[in-house]
Amino acid sequence: MARSHAEVALSLGVIALGIGMAGVTATLPSEGGYAGIGPNFIPAVVAGGIILLGIWLSIEVFAGGWRDMPEHTDKFEPMPFVWVSAGLFAHMALIGWAGFIIAGTALFACVARGFGSRRIARDFAIALIMSVAIYLFFVKLLNVNLPAGWLAPVLGGAGI
Amino acid sequence: MEALNALLHGFGIALQPMNLLWGFIGVTLGTFVGVLPGVGPALTVAMLLPLTVKLDPTGALIMFAGIYYGAMFGGSTTTILLNTPGESASIATALEGNKMAKAGRAGPALATSAIGSFVAGTIATVLLTLVAPIVVDLALKFGPAEYFALMVFAFITVAAVLGSSMVRGLTSLFLGLFLGLVGIDSQTGQQRFAFGVPELLDGVDVVVLAVGLFAVGEALYVAAYQSRITETLEKLRGSLMMSAEDWKRSWPAWLRATAIGFPFGTIPAGGAEIPTFLSYATEKKLSKHPEEFGKGAIEGVAGPEAANNAAATGVLVPLLTLGIPTSATAAILLGAFQNYGLQPGPLLFEAQKDLVWGLIASLYVGNIILLILNLPLIGMWVKVLQIPKDLLYAGILVFATLGAYSLHQSWIDLLTLYVFGLLGFAMRRWDIPVGPAVIGLILGPLAETQFRRALSISQGDATVFISHPISATLLAITALLIIAPWLYRRFRPTSS
Repeated sequence: MARSHAEVALSLGVIALGIGMAGVTATLPSEGGYAGIGPNFIPAVVAGGIILLGIWLSIEVFAGGWRDMPEHTDKFEPMPFVWVSAGLFAHMALIGWAGFIIAGTALFACVARGFGSRRIARDFAIALIMSVAIYLFFVKLLNVNLPAGWLAPVLGGAGI
Repeated sequence: MEALNALLHGFGIALQPMNLLWGFIGVTLGTFVGVLPGVGPALTVAMLLPLTVKLDPTGALIMFAGIYYGAMFGGSTTTILLNTPGESASIATALEGNKMAKAGRAGPALATSAIGSFVAGTIATVLLTLVAPIVVDLALKFGPAEYFALMVFAFITVAAVLGSSMVRGLTSLFLGLFLGLVGIDSQTGQQRFAFGVPELLDGVDVVVLAVGLFAVGEALYVAAYQSRITETLEKLRGSLMMSAEDWKRSWPAWLRATAIGFPFGTIPAGGAEIPTFLSYATEKKLSKHPEEFGKGAIEGVAGPEAANNAAATGVLVPLLTLGIPTSATAAILLGAFQNYGLQPGPLLFEAQKDLVWGLIASLYVGNIILLILNLPLIGMWVKVLQIPKDLLYAGILVFATLGAYSLHQSWIDLLTLYVFGLLGFAMRRWDIPVGPAVIGLILGPLAETQFRRALSISQGDATVFISHPISATLLAITALLIIAPWLYRRFRPTSS
């Protein structure tokens, strides 16, 4: 029954998105010059479409579940999911001030841990080498700015 | 003849040393990333997009043509050796290719796939060269109403006709259409769904959506459900050479598959998925050795692989001549054009002759580079396949986040990326296709522009879409595509 709970939640989520979208659309102006329709017209159509699709999905749930779903037997494991998410959030938080290399290393180590790696030292070493290589490649070769952050003194004035 | 002259001129551009170099880099990187398990062509193109930001448009697009082809080939290598099709178009290859590898015939399987891709890709590029100018002439007669009808047709085929469920396909499409509306309305300057966030005013970037759905979503999914599963990598034993018998059985399959793949690529039918299966079925039916199918029949690799490449080239016809992407990968390529302020379509053939024909010529060159580069480098690609899953996904995510961050140097884009990652996770888990969302994001704003333009010209008269014959026909076919399956289910003769 867990599956149908998710289907209920997703179907209702789609309806909620459509309603929220319709709410914002109501605040958009409708005057549109020669065309007679304004910037609110297509949003209204799309919002309406999303609500109808949400209703359609809901009807399928209550009429025996979504149609033609593939078999799904794998069990959800929360910890790997949490580790990968934690890595992405750490990266988000670090990149602006600690810099790309440190943020990338943290992300790499968390994701590797999430996928079951227990060799933390190895992961950090590979992460560091890869991040430094990407950093130098992008900043020195491609002229794309990436934040140097805390490592700015070591890396020279290359980043921002 | 005009096309031939233009093409020769294009070769002059594609063969310039720098452009040739970009082609080489593109093919190599495309293959390298495409080989990575779980990374399909769409994600490969999206992840490598940031590499080209500082290039001139011609060089960048030539590199992209290389990445596009390389990614396709890389994907088939993975499919044959690892049996994990990175995308639906590779499933047919997996059926026979992996069986061949298990039987110690990985070499010939990879060879027929590489040579078949070259043959099909080259023939398809010739067809593209011949067809494109004709479509351009036709497209120049199109007004906004016709374009809008064509885009609606593309939406419906991609979202509603393909895939296992019409409602889930349409949900994905509408999600993409919604995301396409975020930002500043191009015609009135009105802010929509951006809530004053500067990063959103530019609109949702296709790279963030594609990388979020495909890379972050996939990583979350595999972590949560499959982090303990390990696939077995088939060893590459013996010679890469195809025997005389292999050649004899391969080449008719390549040609038939090209004939199937190219037309399917040019119509908005979701790219390469249908033609690869059609080719597989055709080969199975025509084979003199039907008993080998399911145990590693070489035609079953030769056909789908050639069909895949022919379709991939065919997809470029509507993309370049009409500006209409019919696969997720094509939508991302269109995003790459837009980054340079270029809008593919008939006018691009007039205004940017050098660029367009340089790009088409580079497709010929790319196919040759692919052939001469990949078979010798196969040992390296096998090494890439041996990267363990934990390091693989960690590396993919470091690179994926880099692309999103480099847009505005802002963590907001990274948060958006994570939200799309959660969405991609849910869509993967509950079988909602992601392709229509990517196409909706890119094509939605273009369709809205054409729609409002058509109404502006007709002074708000909505019958313009049905009074123009081409537009009326396209809309009628579209309506039929939606209703037909329903009618069929409802009124089909009950056999039991």
